[in-house]
This record gives sequence, structure tokens and C-alpha cells, in this order.
Amino acid sequence: MVVSLLLSGLALLLYLGAEAFSIAHLRREKAAHGIAAKVMLGTGFLVHFLALEIGGRITHTVPYRDWSASMSLFAWMVAGSYGILRLRHRESSTGPFLLPVAILFLAVSLATQPAHPLPPDPRLTGSEFAFHVTLAILGYAAFTLSFVLAQLYLIQLHQLHKRKIGLLFSRLPALDVLSRMHHTSIGIGVVSIGVATILGFIRADTNWATVWDPKVFVTLLLIAVYVLCLLAGRLFSWSGRRIAWLSIGGYFLMLFSYTIVNLFITQEHVFR
Amino acid sequence: MELRERLAFTPERIEEAVQRLREEGLLAEGVVVSTCNRTELYGLRGTAPVEGDPLQALAAFVADFHGVPRGEVEAAGFRHMGADAVRHLFRVASGLESLALGEHQILGQVREAFRFASNAGLTRNVLNRLFQKALEAGKRVRNETSLNSRPISIPGVAIELAQKIYEDLAPRRFLILGAGETSSIFYDLLLARGAKHIEVVNRTFERAQALCARGGQAYPWEELAARLPKADVVVSATASTEPVIRKDEVHRAVAQRRGQPLFFLDLGIPRNVDPQVGDLDNAFLYAVDDLQEIAERNRQERQREIVPAMAILEEELEDFLAWFGSLAVVPTITALRRKFEAIRAAEFDAALEKLSHIPPQDRERIRLMAQSMVRSLLRRPTEALKEEKDPALRLERAEAAKFLFDLDPDGKA
Repeated sequence: MVVSLLLSGLALLLYLGAEAFSIAHLRREKAAHGIAAKVMLGTGFLVHFLALEIGGRITHTVPYRDWSASMSLFAWMVAGSYGILRLRHRESSTGPFLLPVAILFLAVSLATQPAHPLPPDPRLTGSEFAFHVTLAILGYAAFTLSFVLAQLYLIQLHQLHKRKIGLLFSRLPALDVLSRMHHTSIGIGVVSIGVATILGFIRADTNWATVWDPKVFVTLLLIAVYVLCLLAGRLFSWSGRRIAWLSIGGYFLMLFSYTIVNLFITQEHVFR
Repeated sequence: MELRERLAFTPERIEEAVQRLREEGLLAEGVVVSTCNRTELYGLRGTAPVEGDPLQALAAFVADFHGVPRGEVEAAGFRHMGADAVRHLFRVASGLESLALGEHQILGQVREAFRFASNAGLTRNVLNRLFQKALEAGKRVRNETSLNSRPISIPGVAIELAQKIYEDLAPRRFLILGAGETSSIFYDLLLARGAKHIEVVNRTFERAQALCARGGQAYPWEELAARLPKADVVVSATASTEPVIRKDEVHRAVAQRRGQPLFFLDLGIPRNVDPQVGDLDNAFLYAVDDLQEIAERNRQERQREIVPAMAILEEELEDFLAWFGSLAVVPTITALRRKFEAIRAAEFDAALEKLSHIPPQDRERIRLMAQSMVRSLLRRPTEALKEEKDPALRLERAEAAKFLFDLDPDGKA
């Protein structure tokens, strides 16, 4: 576990470096800073993967058994999703706003390391369960990025409407780019959560008394909200502002599902 | 403006002028930077003795060359010499002397002027180094300050705003209302930016057609309501005294656009677009006053960047002057090397005469060793002469070297 911990610490440092260079690039737009940020993010992502891989080999599971491990996996997914967004849209100026999510969760993971890894839980084994949880975490990571992107969209929109044409305005991407990035991250999230839910149904069908747990209802509602985000512009001519607010609402629904529903409402989604 | 035009140099005239200046001994090297806004002659003084101010002689040459009265050139021109001239070139290259403070086209123009002069053989060691430094300084200012990061012209601001809604303007649909001068300026600007879909609506259809001669589609005024939902950016510059685009029309247009924003640039005075359009979701409205205000704010931002830009230029200036100053001691260093080499050659030949039994390969080794010793002995004195930053001390050291080693830097031997 020591090696895994050291690699996680190194990944955190690399993410911090990527963040620092991203901020420098945002301020001055020097190509060297952009390249340094990209290299550090890529290296951090690989080192983080090694840390998770080594940790997983020791516990013989995907790292979701304890809070710390799942936070680390979440941070890795955030970094990966951001990397995909960056490559897909060739846009780096959102880095200073998106990378802190990965940094925060990895730091929390490192700060809450358990003294000893929890023993494997026989209820939480099997490949479809591993995929179910991994994809769910990827979905949450993508929705987290879409939450930040929706806010950036609203900030840029506000600056345009109020004529606040400053440095941040000139450095943030255009509204259409932010909108496309927002859609991509929601798309990743919807597909991931959708597949995770199907896998969950398959497993629940054989293990639970009923598949219709409150968590399932909230998740389906969450998917519906995000699907609406993807389609509302085309179908109902919704403005970007309205879609951004809906996406922010969806994120709060996700937090509700992750906290209140998981802790107090669900009957079957309890693995403590 | 008129004088500037009369003093402008074509490339052929630049070559002719500098060649003549060199032949007359007024300049040893020369570069002419001639743009729509400036005509500047940079030179390294030649060998010809000049009575009075050499800069005045140059100004007189330029006036005579163009057939302009000397007094006019004297009155309108400016002259710099030495470090001031270098500083001026650095300021020009970095856009600090431009009418639009910080504009970056001038860097390319300076590069072109230098490339032309260099290819024509009009520059040598000093101006080559000077212009390379000026280009470096200009690049540093562009990269390390925000002097050029924000537009300061109305069209520049308008384009920047449009690009903050739609990053790539080329595939977007532009609708221009009016076919007057302002519309024409924007039409040209959009064409230059690669816009593929430009539509012009005008009350006089023929004028709209005339504007679209180089591309785009003209529509009669009655088509305005139908064209509005299809446009991404609307540029309005009509002479109408009342708004020609009302809020309810835009509201209907936006509803048909599947969530795509609609950007209005109202360049009409008085306003062509109902100001309440800006309150609509997914509609953005900027009028001339807004653009002017942003341009002014950007101008003030650029003003604030002058100080950091000047700090960069002073660094580069110091670097160049140190190099230039070191040129003064080059003849002394050359003489010193020549002297040592002469001593080595004489001693080596004398010694070899006495050592005739030594095989040729060993003689070669001894010769190489002696050369290496000379180089080692001269390394420190050479550095001391070249790298001293204080010009007075540098000359003092050069004089000491001349005295100690009995050097004659001007001598042929």
C-alpha cells in the first residue's frame, strides 16, 4: 500500500503542477505553459492509474471498498474526463476551473486513508458489479465537470450581457465551445450512468427482492434530467442559460442521490 | 499625411537610396522601414567626414532624394542617435510607437524591411545584430505583456465579441442591414475573416446587390423578418431614425433557432435595434457606445502595459549596447592575437632549425601545442576586454593592452 500511497501523492503533485501551469497559461497564454500543463496532467493521470492499479491488486477489487479509495477513483475519473474534453474540444482555458475538482478529491482521499484496507465484502464481488460501480463513478465525475462547465457558461453569459469585458472574459472560451464541452461531459455521464443502471438492474434482479429501490427511481430521474439537458435546445429551443441551470439542478439531484438517498432512504443500496 | 506619402520608399528606391548613401560614405549599412504610417532610415555611420551634424546630412539626403524641401523634412521628422536610435527601433518593433498602441503588424513590417535590406546586401554585422535584437524585443513584449491582447478598434472589439459567442466565425451566417460605408467596412472585414455566408438587406435593393458583388446574397428589405431567424450575427448600420428591429421580432426569431444565440451589433446612430432586445434570453445586443467603451477600456489597459514593456526593451537595449561596445575593442583583440601568433611562429621556426632530428609528426605535435598555449594565454585577456560592461573601463583596458604589448590595431602587419 505504501507504493500506491506514494504514487497517489506524486499524482497529486503532478495535478497541482498542471493546475499551476494552467493558471499561468490562462494569464499569459504562453504556449510553453500550456504544453507543461498538458504533460503534467497526462503524467499525473498515468501515475494515478498505477496507484489505483497497485491498490486494486492488493485488495483484489476495483478501488471502491472504502471512502478513500472511491474518492481517489473519482478524482482519476475527473482527470480522465477532463483530458477527454481537452482533447475533444482542443480547449485548455477551462483547466484552472476543472482540475481543482480532481485535486480536491485526491487530496481528500489521501487525507482519509484507512489504517488497514477493509476486508473484501462477498456482496460486492463480480465483474458486473465492478463495472456497475466504476461506470457510476465515471458518470458522477462527468456530471461534476458538467456542473463546473455550466457555471463557466453562466459566468461568460453574464459577462456578455452585462458588458463585463475583462481578462476572464477574453480568456474563457466562447459560449458555443463551453456549450459543446458541457454537452460532451453530460453525454459521457448519461452513457456511463445508463450502462451502470442496466448492470445494476441485472444484478439486482438476481440478488434483491425488488429492483424498484428509491435509489433506482432517483437515478432514472437524474438520467431524465440530463437527457433533457442534451435535447432541450434542439427540441424546445431552450436557451443555453436555461440548460445550464437545469444541469446545475441535475447536479444537486445527484448530490441528493449520493448523500440523502444513500444514507437514509434506500433499502437495498446499503453496503455498510 | 501628404508629406509621409511623398517620403515613402518603394523597395527599388530603398536599395537605390542606401547604395547611394554608402557610395557617398554617409552610411556603412542601412535599413529603411517604410510603412503607411512611417518612413524611417536606420544606418551605421560611414567613413566619409561630415561637416556638422551627420543626422542633418542624412535628413538632407532623404529630402533631396524625394525632391522634398529640406525644411519640410526637418520640421516634420525626428532624429535619434546612438542608444536613443536603438531604443526607438525597439519601441517601433514592439508597437509602442504605433498609432494603435501595441499593434503587432509592425513587427512583421520591421522583419520584412530587415529581410529586404539583408538580401540586398545593405546590412552587415551591426545592423544585422541590431534588427535581430529589435525583432526579439518585439516578440518578448508581445509574449510577456498584455500590450496586444485586447482589440482597441471598433471592428476589432465587435469581432472579439462575436467570437465569444461563436468561436469559429467562418461557417456562421451574417446578416448586414444597410449598404452604406459602415456596412461596407464590416462586409470587407467579414470576408477577410473567411465568412462564407453573408447576407445584405437594404431598402435600396440595388445597393445591397452592389455590396454583395464579391460574395454573399442580397435581399430586399421586405425579407428582413424571414432572414432574421437564420442569422447568427446581425450587423445593423442603417440611416433609419427609428429602430428597424423590434423586440417581438427578435423574440420570434430566437424561438425558431433551436437554442442558438443571436448576436446583434447595432452600429446605427441613432440605434437601429430596440435596446430591449438585449434583455431577451439568447439574444445579445451591443451598440456603438458599448463598443467604444470597451475599446477605450482596452486602450487604457494597453497604456498600463507600457511600463513592463519598456522594462523588457531596456534589458534588450543593455544587451545590445554591451555587444556593440565590445566591437570597439575588437581591433585591439585582433592585434593582440596577431602579435602572439607572430611570436609563436618566429620562436617555433627558430627552435625547429636547431631540432632538425625531430620527425615530422612530432614537429606537428609541437606546433599544435604552441598554438594551444597561445590560445590559453589569450583567453582571459580577450574575455576581460570583450565582456566588460563599463565602456570607459573597457577602453582603458584596451589602451593598457596596447601599451603593454606594443600593439598597433590599425597596422596591417
